Amino acid sequence: MKESKITKYYPLIPVCATYLALFIIGESVPGMWQLVAMLAFYCAIGQAFNIFLGMTGYVDFGYVAFMGVGAYGMALSVERLHMVEGIGMGVVFLGLLLAVVLATLLSLAVGAVALRLRGAYFAIATIGVNEGFRYLIEGAKLWGGSEGIVFYGQLAKALGSETASQVSTFWADVFVFLIAFMAACITIVYMRSKIGYALTALREDEDAAKVMGINVTKYKIIAFITSASVAGLIGAAGWALKLTNVFPPQVFEIHYTVECIIIVLLGGAGTLLGPPVGALVYGLAKYWLSVIIPGFQLFIFAPIILVVIVVFPEGIMGLVKKRWRGTGLGKFIE
Amino acid sequence: MFGIQLAGNLLQGLVLGAVYGMATMGLSLIFGVLKVVNVGHGAFMMVGAFVALWVFNGLGLSPIWAIPAAFVLGMALGFIFFHTSMKRLIKAPELASLLATFALGILLEETVKLIYGADFHGYNWIVGKVSMGITVMPMSKIYAFVGSILIALILYFWFTKTRGGTALTCVVEDSEGARVCGINVGRAYALSFSLGIGLTVASGVLLTMFIPVGISPYMGGVYTLKAFVIAVLGGLGSPYGAFFGGLIFGLLENGSYSLFALIPGLEPFAMTRFFSFLILLLILLIKPTGLLGTK
Amino acid sequence: MLKLNDVTKRFGGLIAVNRVSLEIKRGEFVGIVGPNGSGKTTLFNVISGVYYPDGGKVLFEDRDISFFPPYKRAPLGIGRTFQIPRPFGSATVRENVAVGAMFGTMRDKVGVDESMVIADEVIERVGLQEHRNKPAGTLTPVEKKLTEIARALAMKPKLLLMDEAMAGMHPNDIDQMVSLVKTLAKEQNIAVVAMVEHIMRAVVGMAEKVIVLHQGAKIVDAPTQKALRDPKVIEVYLGHPLER
Repeated sequence: MKESKITKYYPLIPVCATYLALFIIGESVPGMWQLVAMLAFYCAIGQAFNIFLGMTGYVDFGYVAFMGVGAYGMALSVERLHMVEGIGMGVVFLGLLLAVVLATLLSLAVGAVALRLRGAYFAIATIGVNEGFRYLIEGAKLWGGSEGIVFYGQLAKALGSETASQVSTFWADVFVFLIAFMAACITIVYMRSKIGYALTALREDEDAAKVMGINVTKYKIIAFITSASVAGLIGAAGWALKLTNVFPPQVFEIHYTVECIIIVLLGGAGTLLGPPVGALVYGLAKYWLSVIIPGFQLFIFAPIILVVIVVFPEGIMGLVKKRWRGTGLGKFIE
Repeated sequence: MFGIQLAGNLLQGLVLGAVYGMATMGLSLIFGVLKVVNVGHGAFMMVGAFVALWVFNGLGLSPIWAIPAAFVLGMALGFIFFHTSMKRLIKAPELASLLATFALGILLEETVKLIYGADFHGYNWIVGKVSMGITVMPMSKIYAFVGSILIALILYFWFTKTRGGTALTCVVEDSEGARVCGINVGRAYALSFSLGIGLTVASGVLLTMFIPVGISPYMGGVYTLKAFVIAVLGGLGSPYGAFFGGLIFGLLENGSYSLFALIPGLEPFAMTRFFSFLILLLILLIKPTGLLGTK
Repeated sequence: MLKLNDVTKRFGGLIAVNRVSLEIKRGEFVGIVGPNGSGKTTLFNVISGVYYPDGGKVLFEDRDISFFPPYKRAPLGIGRTFQIPRPFGSATVRENVAVGAMFGTMRDKVGVDESMVIADEVIERVGLQEHRNKPAGTLTPVEKKLTEIARALAMKPKLLLMDEAMAGMHPNDIDQMVSLVKTLAKEQNIAVVAMVEHIMRAVVGMAEKVIVLHQGAKIVDAPTQKALRDPKVIEVYLGHPLER
């Protein structure tokens, strides 16, 4: 009995190994850090997005708004609190906290409207929120309006310019790695608990799930808020902290949602290993394509998404799971 | 003075609204019959815009010729896309068709970018202006207005008076029932999708008659979003609803611009966009079937 | 245990269920019978919570559950199977059945691991052990039906609503399933309400009493053998009174 309690979480091992390997490669091979950081970013957003898309089957086309609002959380924290005596790294941690708070609040607002809706209506409502929020910021000149927030100076004042530089060029990316791993842990904990089963049921057949006693709205909300909060953290660390600026058109750019969708679908929606696999495949392909034939990446990817959707919607890990299910290796695959 | 300016603005909004409405009819048709939201809607309009560009700059003809050309091209594209991808996704979960149309849109954008480059293009179609008391309306916009209404009327007659059209209406109501009545539902799907895309591409031409600049491969995104708001306003499955939704939207868009411009500290253009999404969310909250929807 | 008091359900101008009252006691086996359009599907949906009544009340163990959403009825002990079986296709049989346990009457007492244990027991009783780890979507229709029944039983229900159209099933399979359900239900004192189109072997084999619906109203509520001979029932199915 005790043995099976631990083996349940074995699939975390390949995930952990992947992230560790990435980190080590980035640190030891000169010049690789930027690429590795980008891959880690994709892994993180993939894992986070998968918590909602993969487990419920609903597409949140406005997902990037949570990342954006998280980025603002970090930016606002540094901008407004940097002059507090001795706060030092506290601005960064407060920034992360604020990011989670803002993302959670936004997801509650979105969820209240959108989660009662099904399929297409849900997708439209989420796009509406993303765009609406962005134009509210620009139109009402909130938080710097369309000029955004640039806060390198304030960060340097709070941390000292050497630390600030280290934070934004190295530690921000390390945070992203940690967040990616945290998202993976959350995913597998959900999957192995009643939450995961409820989500699978509602993904398969929402009406049958209801009759089985599953409060589908409650579970959708859980998945939604979780996914959104992690996105907020990623926006705070991977965007704001790393770039030390936030601009509305940049952080609400819908193509990041597209990338999330590609990563999760390609890798295998609803699986634990899917997002890292998808992130690596997509990230590397994008990088090499941009070197070989710049400007053509989307042209190549669009038909690929089409083919994946039509021909093998389970994605890479979905197929792998099917083949290795029940075998010895299968214990490590989820 | 503000009153006249507002009235003029509203009239312009009404005219633009007709074009928006007509542009959304394709979206509503595809949703009504196939229950698929064409997330790549704006990209198809963009294709129409480029057809107009090509007809005017390339062939030296009046853009009015571009309308049937775009329509035919649209129907052909729709037919091809339906048989290669959409057909297989009818039974799949909604997510699949949403993503498929999304991917199609991206594919179109990138293809056009390869051909024309990412810059902005435009054309100049000067056919005079008409003074309407409260505002001055270029004839090109009037042509766009008339064109939109004509197309909407033709569609209305087609849906209600012809066998093909009424068959489609039956499929919207109840696809199983329609099948039992002997209607070839598969062909109805193909026809609706092709027709819907054809309408959408043609509407791109009409749009350029109203706004002949800013034509670029990525121009479509904004219009996809507006189309969603309009379609939901009018009831997602109803092409007529879409048309009237468009009129309402045009009025709201322009009217709200005038109002926001009055309030200091606000950026009216962005606020107008925010306002339209607010409306979208309110409608989804209160009456998701649309202002004019029946279910 | 389950009481319907004057339940009415309208769709626009159409009255689908017309002031139907009935009572089902613990452990009772009942058949609800009626041709297409008699309102039995609607009645079922009102009992399971898919629809809320426009008139009258639905009481379960003396509690008014008329407006409880479906997911609140399951933990009270109302389980349901569907006409065309709807197991969760990509999940294994074991996982399907475990879901029943996780959210059923025992939901506050069992976690995921205990639910799996319960699932294994139920699967054994139902005879699906061989297929335990297969995705439910790959099963034959009969196996899918058994999975659904197992899933509903794993809920440890007090009332099982079986939406049965056994038409198209081999008589042997019908008999097998009927006796299986009967045995298991008797063991656990589960009331079973089966909904069928007309009185035939499934119902006769199982039901102690039969309720016949016609155009939304209840016309007969009697022990099975009596109902079979009731002239009103014969009239409903033949369309005209029997001349004797």
